Amino acid sequence: MKITRRGFIRGAAAAGAIGATGFPHIWNKNLSLARAADGEIKVGVLFSLTGTTAIIEESLNKATILAIEEINAAGGINGMKIVPVIEDPASDPATFAEKARKLVLSDRCVSVFGSYTSASRKAVLPVFEKRENLYFYPTLYEGRECSKNVVYTGAVPNQQQDEFVPWLVEKFGKKWYLIGSNYIYPKEENNYCKKLLEGLGAEVVAEEYVPLGHSEFSSVVNKFQSLQPNVIFSTVVGDSVVALHRQYRAAGLDPAKMPMASLTTSENEVAAMGGEAAAGHFTSAPYFMVWDSPENRKFVDAYKARWGQDKVTHFVSEPSYFQVYLFKQAVAKLAPSDITPPNIREAIKGESMIAPQGKVQIERENLHTWLWPKIGQCKSDGQFEILKQSATWLKPEPYKAYPNMHCTEAGLTES
Amino acid sequence: MSLVVTGLSIASILLLVALGLAIIYGVTGVINLAHGELVMIGAYCAWALQSFFGIGLLASLPLIFLATALLGWIIDRVVIRHLYNRPLDTILATWGIGVMAQQAVRLLAGGELRYVEMPEAMNHPVSVLGVEIPIFRIFILGLAVALFGLTWFLIFRTSLGLKLRAITQSREIASCFGINSNRIYGLTFAYGAGLAGLAGAVVSPLKSVAPEMGTTYVVDAFMVVVLGGVESLVGSVASAFIIGQSSSAVAFYANDTIAKALVLLFIVILIRFRPQGLFAAKVRS
Amino acid sequence: MRNRDLIQYLTYGTVCLIIFLVPVFVQDAFLLNKTARYLVLGILAISLSLSWGYTGILNLGQATSFGLGSYCMAMALKLRTIPVHTGAEGLPDFMVWNNVEKLPWFWEPFYSMPFAIAAGVAVPALIAAGLGWFMFRGRVTGVYVAIITLAFLVVVNLLFIDQQRFTGGFNGITDLAQLDIGSFTFDAYGASSYYLIAICLTFCLFFALLVTKSKAGLILQAIRDHENRVRYFGYDVARYKIFAVAVSAAIAGMAGMLYTIVMEFASPTFMGVQLSLSVVIWCAVGGRQSLLGSMLGAILVAGMQGALSESETFLDTWTLVMGLVFVLVVLFLPKGLAGAAETLKDRIFRKFGRSSKAMAKSPGEATPRPAASRPT
Repeated sequence: MKITRRGFIRGAAAAGAIGATGFPHIWNKNLSLARAADGEIKVGVLFSLTGTTAIIEESLNKATILAIEEINAAGGINGMKIVPVIEDPASDPATFAEKARKLVLSDRCVSVFGSYTSASRKAVLPVFEKRENLYFYPTLYEGRECSKNVVYTGAVPNQQQDEFVPWLVEKFGKKWYLIGSNYIYPKEENNYCKKLLEGLGAEVVAEEYVPLGHSEFSSVVNKFQSLQPNVIFSTVVGDSVVALHRQYRAAGLDPAKMPMASLTTSENEVAAMGGEAAAGHFTSAPYFMVWDSPENRKFVDAYKARWGQDKVTHFVSEPSYFQVYLFKQAVAKLAPSDITPPNIREAIKGESMIAPQGKVQIERENLHTWLWPKIGQCKSDGQFEILKQSATWLKPEPYKAYPNMHCTEAGLTES
Repeated sequence: MSLVVTGLSIASILLLVALGLAIIYGVTGVINLAHGELVMIGAYCAWALQSFFGIGLLASLPLIFLATALLGWIIDRVVIRHLYNRPLDTILATWGIGVMAQQAVRLLAGGELRYVEMPEAMNHPVSVLGVEIPIFRIFILGLAVALFGLTWFLIFRTSLGLKLRAITQSREIASCFGINSNRIYGLTFAYGAGLAGLAGAVVSPLKSVAPEMGTTYVVDAFMVVVLGGVESLVGSVASAFIIGQSSSAVAFYANDTIAKALVLLFIVILIRFRPQGLFAAKVRS
Repeated sequence: MRNRDLIQYLTYGTVCLIIFLVPVFVQDAFLLNKTARYLVLGILAISLSLSWGYTGILNLGQATSFGLGSYCMAMALKLRTIPVHTGAEGLPDFMVWNNVEKLPWFWEPFYSMPFAIAAGVAVPALIAAGLGWFMFRGRVTGVYVAIITLAFLVVVNLLFIDQQRFTGGFNGITDLAQLDIGSFTFDAYGASSYYLIAICLTFCLFFALLVTKSKAGLILQAIRDHENRVRYFGYDVARYKIFAVAVSAAIAGMAGMLYTIVMEFASPTFMGVQLSLSVVIWCAVGGRQSLLGSMLGAILVAGMQGALSESETFLDTWTLVMGLVFVLVVLFLPKGLAGAAETLKDRIFRKFGRSSKAMAKSPGEATPRPAASRPT
């Protein structure tokens, strides 16, 4: 490897990065200067650092950077370094589209890791599909998408709900209150939930959607009090989650009688609402920070060492981390001249690894990921207690609510 | 009954957030789009005082008031002062200030959601007229009423308030009588900013603290001010009450999205037929 | 006077010519696509300049028209993907997901592209005219116009997000076909879309310029400067104002359609408060009382935003820099860059011995605007 000054600084920074805390962007910003050169694999990193969703996307950015640094510090991929190009799409779909185009068309990245909301994924999709590039999407989402240009490493509805909903019905009862933010993800999760509830003979007493960013839940809490559901099934996202939990608690409602069961409340949100407001409520996810495995201990320690001891990992930052390793495994199978997005896609099919949550694998058919769903109950220290883990890993079935549609390697088919 | 109480607690937060805006707009004519960011900074002050100095929320309120008032005064002296003759341009300038404030806070305090603890004694519900409501909501209501009273007193019972009212009537004539309108404007802006800071600190235990939190408040606050009538303090109270009650009722029978849309439409129609607001005093023209 | 007009036409023409020459020098698909996007924003700024700069109506809801135009185009392009996605007899995919069984009646006509294009201009114009009629017949002025238009924007935005079955909700309408007219396809990344946008921009710019030069345009400027005096002359002020907002909305709707073509989706953020305020900022920076200035302001600010956020030095601080720039522009360049250029030009003219008096008397951009009185 040629030693240039910049290359040297980068190497030194990579070595020193573990353990360095404080100003997080100094190092990775230098990287975006890099141009494609011998021995470098350019990838895009597209998480909002400003705007409304930056609250969560910042942590995804950090997990992605951590994985890239670790891989580079360990010698890269077959001796080649991963060079991240970091862009800030500012939580705005139009800016997402512009930045994605820059990464694909101008920087010629071979893959892009990015985004949190479905809206932003939809906004960047055209450029990846038309330019045959590859997008790694770490977030749990509503499913029902079948693109051969996206690798999905987050959970789809069946992976979060199949065990969770029956468990809740058995434990708490059949009167359910569905509350979500007003967009496609909650609506779709609720569609799936209602299907499951129907099969279990349970009843939905209310289904309600609040505007995104809503923070005044007194009317909603009022309805909780008057309807007295057994389970409040929450797909409220972002800072609304925090407001909902705190106002629930301030109203003196009891999680033991009327728990909130959430698909979206992670350690990140719990840290912001305070453990006492979250205590007693349930979340279903493939990953919790307390999960006890050697891989997870290593991930959590490295994350804290790199970004600060007070930081938490959660069920979206974990896929952001392991998907870079899956990318690495796929690229490692290719000759340097063959590193193109379509080849990476073919190489990553069926690829598996031991992630912090357990063994995960990319499903050949639909490029989604086999995951290990778990049910956690929040404690007042802000961490979850894992009550149940799925006996097996679960297949990703993005079209499970639509029995006649299947996502296959050939694309979406109907039967 | 529970609807009315819910409405009252929505109204009290609206009033708290809108009060500072109403005063600044009513007196100086400045459309302060950075108001939401002042609310946000108040919330961050509460967070910082709590997590770095261990000062509880209630004890930190006076400090927060002073800190945000100082910030408001600086903003006024450095930027707004030059724009008193161009009220529409203040929209742009304060928007720029708001953007800067958001990013500055993000860089200083990090982008994560922050946590402000609710005073433990208030973290329970009590029964009022047969309705269970959180003590903290009652506290907010009390604070809103108290601050309104204080503001009313300042304006109608002190010499400062007299000068202020004189300027509102006619800046030129007031100046002829030797009133330093620039100074009064500065103080008004500082006071309004201080109120915004207090509002932010007080709502932070109920909601979340993030750099963008202010944007949602500023539109709501404006609607309250406009509905109530620009120069009428009592109007702000009444309109906060009306908006709170109608949101609560519509949200209960339909949902919050429809409630928000209907309230906005109502305001649009109202402005059309009564542009001076519901409770404006006599209109000069 | 005439000389002055000529200079103005020449300046406008030169700028348009430069815009047309860009693809000769820029072959990179990304840059071309990005420039095309900024040009669309430029058209949007022209539309606001017409209502705000020339008529004094501060429309904080300009993005309503933009968004409506954008959705009209997106609906038409979405319908063209049906055979690929859901079979010839199918529905747009998001409707299938939302259990819609039949194509809603207001989607039907969008099978026809000419209708969609006409709707993209007419729907915003009609809605703006309706809202204008509602406001101006009641003599609502000043800051209340700003607040009504802003509130209206929020309502429309909420409705579009809420009515997911018909609008795609928060995700908007995505996964669109490419626009083809006849057998010609407009590739979002190619020169074809760029030229389409450049042609529309030139058209809008000169159309708006002609409107401001027309008799109606002069009356609009008179209304801006002194509404009551115009009313005393017997003019129907409200009618002229409605005309101004309708024309402005039509141009914004057209910009919205082009935005869908270049961005390949339509999103509720296209009718969001953020964008709507941004347009105001662009006009303020460029100079709201100049169509060209506003347009360049949009291109400049959006371009700067893009460039700053791409440079690694400003990754964290670019929004700080943008905020600071706005504050400085407002403080020191109250008439924006166009105002500054005008002052500069006047000075040069003065050097050549022309009387500055004649300059100051000419209407249009050079007219000093009386300090706006406080709205009450």
